[in-house]
Amino acid sequence: MSGPARMEARMELVCPAGTPATLRAAVEAGADAVYCGFRDETNARNFPGLNFSGEELAEGVRFAHGHGTKVLVAINTFARVGEVDRWRKAADTAVACGADAIIAGDIAVLDHVATNHRDSVRLHLSVQAAASTPEAIRFYAETFGVRRVVIPRVLSVPEITALNKAIDVETEAFVYGGLCVMVEGRCYLSSYATGKSPNLNGVCSPPEAVSYDEDDKGMAARLSGFTIDRYAPGEPTGYPTLCKGRFNAGGKTSYLFEEPVSLNAGSLIEGLKKAGVTALKIEGRQRGKGYVSEVVRAFRRAVDAVEAGGDAVEIDRILAGQSEGGRQTAGAYRKIWR
Amino acid sequence: MEARLPAFVRHLFPTFAGAPLGPALTWSLRALARRRPGLFDRLGDFAGERYFIDPVDLAFAFVVVPDGERASVRVTDKQGGGDCGVTIRGPILSLLALLDGSQDGDALFFNRVIAISGRTEAVLALRNAIEDAELTPADLIGLSGTPGRLADAGILGGLDVARRFALAAAAPAPEERRS
Repeated sequence: MSGPARMEARMELVCPAGTPATLRAAVEAGADAVYCGFRDETNARNFPGLNFSGEELAEGVRFAHGHGTKVLVAINTFARVGEVDRWRKAADTAVACGADAIIAGDIAVLDHVATNHRDSVRLHLSVQAAASTPEAIRFYAETFGVRRVVIPRVLSVPEITALNKAIDVETEAFVYGGLCVMVEGRCYLSSYATGKSPNLNGVCSPPEAVSYDEDDKGMAARLSGFTIDRYAPGEPTGYPTLCKGRFNAGGKTSYLFEEPVSLNAGSLIEGLKKAGVTALKIEGRQRGKGYVSEVVRAFRRAVDAVEAGGDAVEIDRILAGQSEGGRQTAGAYRKIWR
Repeated sequence: MEARLPAFVRHLFPTFAGAPLGPALTWSLRALARRRPGLFDRLGDFAGERYFIDPVDLAFAFVVVPDGERASVRVTDKQGGGDCGVTIRGPILSLLALLDGSQDGDALFFNRVIAISGRTEAVLALRNAIEDAELTPADLIGLSGTPGRLADAGILGGLDVARRFALAAAAPAPEERRS
């Protein structure tokens, strides 16, 4: 689709589904597409009790398609040497279940889908591939037939506009939820602290390494014994991820990379449409039905308002209660920190 | 804002008054496991974990082992969680809202309405299993059909009224709001 054609098309709202129940909640709240993954290390939200079996995915696809909603399956970690079959089988299962697209970042997975399933499923390039230049995106499009790229959360709106003018594939931009400020797929902070990799094992700050300890001064959030942050009694908290930790450096204690905040680009929907973005993505497969229902419903109203020529400013107030650390940011879209 | 029961409830229902809840909830969980055997699968290895559930506005707490047909619920005093791997603490109405999926556990945690300690992975497994189960009050008391629908409407309606009442009681008086 050309740049001007992308700007005329309705934007697609892509919503998280960590379990069959949240898939149904997202569909009923107005998602155009839901994304989900299998209950193993092939997907980057490999948390206890989360995700889908093959049977659950097939049933979820039937339900979603029955409501006119697409299902995108994230097989988005990097396959390990000698274990690539696990990732290939995950892709085969997703196709057999009727998935509309596979979201992948590993070239072995992309190659498998492009070679064996090119006619039956779309390929979307995962944010884990960290493709943010026209050259990188063209490589994935020409080599594997990638139709959409999920763009990293480190680009400003003008940069996305320039990118879209230089490529012929769709772009999908995160608009709400957890904010990764690193080069995704290549971050080793969590691996350094816990020995487990978000890129290979699918877990950034794996829960078995996380602890919250209360004392008279408040709460300490720890990762593998490292104190990531301390919160006074009553102060809003966040996940103990290293990129959002408070560090002592240069004689000062501060958040070196990013504060514990949630991304909320609800007020930038119109700008992202003008930048040629095809799909808006809500993060949060690890969150529950309450979050999914509230956030999807709010963004459904906001996207519809923008498509009808209105604005979506009120969304910031509606969603403040769902935010990590009780705060929200437009991240790099309104670049002030890089 | 969090909804807490008024302080007099603690005095009306001391620990011994809550004791009969233990056998009743144990029976209920085991019956649920027999009716919906796949329900506890998401817990995986954490089905045998001991969860200390402490409603801060009640005089007693619960020790729950969600092990399918071997599940158990025991009512205990506030110091009874010493041998538990996980503690989940919060107002009873918020804890019940997690059960019916009407509130998001992470949002309640971020805003310090509920607190957790111990094995975080076991908390996540329990939260995700409960979320996906989409339990209703009728599921827990073993009713279906019209009686189940009536029980759901009555109990969920009652909880909603209780939440509104607790929120109204916790709201600052007009004079306090102005100061």
